[in-house]
Amino acid sequence: MTPRLLVFTLAAAAIMSAQVKLPPYSKKALPNGATLILLNKPDVPLVTVRALFRGGAEAESAAQAGINALTVELMRRGAGARPAEEFAEALDALGASLNTGANRQFSFASVEFLTRTQSEALALFGDFLARPTFPEDEFKKALAQRIDASKAAKDNPGAALALFFPSFFYGPGHPYARPSNGDELSLANLTRQSLVDWHKRMFVGRNLILIAAGDIDEKTLGPRLEKLASALPAGEAYQWRQSVAPPERKQPRLLLIDKPDATQTYFMVATPGIDRTHPDRTQLEIVNTLFGGRFTSMLNDELRVNSGLTYGARSSVDEDRLTGAISISTFTPAETTVKAIDLALEVLNRLRTQGIDTEQLLSARNYIKGGFPTQNLETADQVAGILGELEIFGLNKGEIDDYFSRLDAATLEQVNATAKKWYGAAPLQFLLVGNAEKIREDVKKYAPNMKVRSIKEPGFGVPAF
Amino acid sequence: MLRLGLAVLLTALGAAGSGMKVTTHTLDNGMRILVHEDHDVPNAAMYLFYTVGSRNERPGITGISHYFEHMMFNGAKKYGPKQFDIVMERAGGRNNAYTSRDITAYTNWFPNTALEQIFDLEADRIHDLAFDPQIVESERGVVISERRMAVDNNPFGTLYEQVNAAAYLAHPYSWPVIGWASDIAAYSMDDLKAHFKMGYAPNNCLLVVTGAVTHDEVVRLAKKYLEPIPRQDPPPPVRTVEPPQLGERRVVVKRAAQLPLMIVSYHVPATRHADNAALEMLETVLTSGRSSRLYRRLVEQEQLVLSINAGQQLALDPTQFLFSMQVRSGVEPSKVEAALYEELGKVAKEGITPTELAKAKNQQIAGFYRSLKTIAGKANLLGQFEIYHGDHRKLFTAVEELEKVTAADIQRVAGAYFGEKNRTVGTLIPEMPQKGGAE
Repeated sequence: MTPRLLVFTLAAAAIMSAQVKLPPYSKKALPNGATLILLNKPDVPLVTVRALFRGGAEAESAAQAGINALTVELMRRGAGARPAEEFAEALDALGASLNTGANRQFSFASVEFLTRTQSEALALFGDFLARPTFPEDEFKKALAQRIDASKAAKDNPGAALALFFPSFFYGPGHPYARPSNGDELSLANLTRQSLVDWHKRMFVGRNLILIAAGDIDEKTLGPRLEKLASALPAGEAYQWRQSVAPPERKQPRLLLIDKPDATQTYFMVATPGIDRTHPDRTQLEIVNTLFGGRFTSMLNDELRVNSGLTYGARSSVDEDRLTGAISISTFTPAETTVKAIDLALEVLNRLRTQGIDTEQLLSARNYIKGGFPTQNLETADQVAGILGELEIFGLNKGEIDDYFSRLDAATLEQVNATAKKWYGAAPLQFLLVGNAEKIREDVKKYAPNMKVRSIKEPGFGVPAF
Repeated sequence: MLRLGLAVLLTALGAAGSGMKVTTHTLDNGMRILVHEDHDVPNAAMYLFYTVGSRNERPGITGISHYFEHMMFNGAKKYGPKQFDIVMERAGGRNNAYTSRDITAYTNWFPNTALEQIFDLEADRIHDLAFDPQIVESERGVVISERRMAVDNNPFGTLYEQVNAAAYLAHPYSWPVIGWASDIAAYSMDDLKAHFKMGYAPNNCLLVVTGAVTHDEVVRLAKKYLEPIPRQDPPPPVRTVEPPQLGERRVVVKRAAQLPLMIVSYHVPATRHADNAALEMLETVLTSGRSSRLYRRLVEQEQLVLSINAGQQLALDPTQFLFSMQVRSGVEPSKVEAALYEELGKVAKEGITPTELAKAKNQQIAGFYRSLKTIAGKANLLGQFEIYHGDHRKLFTAVEELEKVTAADIQRVAGAYFGEKNRTVGTLIPEMPQKGGAE
């Protein structure tokens, strides 16, 4: 174990974090199947309205990867009577901001505006949701921009690592096997008509969760948003995929993405994990905090603090609708690649074999609780985000309101059993972005089943293993 | 990850201080304190701003302020190596820090139950920092990795560093905040100790606490933990004044990249200058939102670039106003340049419309409120106003200042600063890597 000096006199007395709870909100099912949620939290004179449509990347086919994100982008490029430029002009004139995108389980659009501009902002948002026009020239332009952006992402090796990961880890056929914006190959398959059809099918009342939060008056805003949401046809509810796990790997695999100009190696080491509602999630959040989720975590302590091999090392546990990954990620100068990977594996092994102790468990609980209010409940848009997530994953308020008691209930034995069960039990999967000429021979030892792919080849697909 | 070294601090001007109440106190040793109570969540933020940054360095020790920022986490008298983070995280807190050209800021976020603990930790390292030779070495490795990430493996970072160095002949803003690689490799223990002595006086520090605290409690704890630290000389004034630029400067970087990049940089005055508000407004007119002049033309209409960003860093001394653009594949960078100059020339010649002015004001007001959503945002903004605008109370009148900006002001600053002689132009041209030639 890392030696620790125990000088906790002040801290030990100070920890008595009370459970923080979700502020009161209202929820209503609308006739077209949409769900409307309202939350008054008037800290600043701003309102956030967020629309989520169930589906997300898991609803896309491999050939159309990125269609959600592109559809929701197109919805602002011509809506109601306004062509793209006029729509942008009207939105900017209010000082409003509109963010759109898609993740693995939903497409989203979030508009934030000054309270005094509510009426105008909602008129624009209503057109955006229900009356997009999908002009052909705007489609071509947006598509070309995304294709260039997909290429440019390869100039940032850290970003490229994350974009290659889905295809490598999940393998062909899995709904999570591509980045949520797609890549230049999948985007090239899209047409204006495919977006129109997609919008008609997915952006419907039965898939919609509409949340307004901030400086709002429920009595006036409620009816206004009901009207706005009801402009969408009920449509057919998206049927979530049956649970599919990442493929079971019998042996370790290693994929090296060759970036000849890279002076550092960026790498991930991953193993299958859990989904968002898995009963082990709270315990895994504790383990991950200690393993690679904070500055003093085991990984950062060894790779950064003790050895100076990297600027930072971390780990994460995916919590999506389908089973995701548990992964380590960091980077190090090319010359110290093996040293850093060896050390990361040593830390992983230490977690598995030695587990954590009472002191660590206490510290992790305090840390999670201490950051929870400002990370989740401080701003209206944070709370809106949480309320949307509860709907999407079918979780109840207790997810937030009872969180601290779940943290407290996790015993040391349980947490250590969970660590053993999930960390490194399955054969490890290694993904590296770096200079193959410098490192390929040295990294073979991690997985005889190793492949190299040039970063210059188009897209974020990977060779078959 | 934590402790990002190169935070770009763009000024947030905007609306009224929304009734924010701020109380002040100055300790006997000269440390200034600002407190803002906000009991929305049971948490607090404590920010310490030391007015020392890369402008207080000299060739040979460039980047030492940033390196030192890292060393402040590596052990003091009461809390030894690693203990600062171990104790803080166990108390439910987390932290970060950043270094800019002018300041080094230490930022702590924690449940309010940990307030006294955080004071104890901060006081220990300001008063009694330890300099362990072994840790000095391993931290050097961390900073080298950070430099490789932020500069060497980042096309924008590479180009920015080169443009910035070309834009200044004399002033210390010419070197990168993270420092030149050879200097990072060479700092000595004496350099570090000298830097600590120069920059880390309590009278060179501004303490801002926001959140679920009371003024009296903050002042009581500050007196207990921070007041005993003796006053010392602040850093010597930076005497060098950048001489006027006499003609356009051009920089070309050739390196592996998918797409070209461009940075066009103009000398502008320090944040405190009267033209600052008009320049902020001009930035909004040019690049904020999809209807802004440059976004509309370069990204949408002519599709010359993938993205365009503009702005100036907060600065105690005269600084740069940058335009940075990711050029589209197949587009000649000179076309981008010509379109940019034409648009800047238009503002200087014809001014902006009343609609654009009203729009820019709304955008800034909304942006201002966004920055006030969190206790951390408020702590940061209070510190910035106190240091860069000379008085945190200017935060409360920011909206009035904003309303005063006229279309004529914007036209005037466009003409005054965005001329050919005043600019430095950087272009990154993608190049196939030579075998084994990187590094």
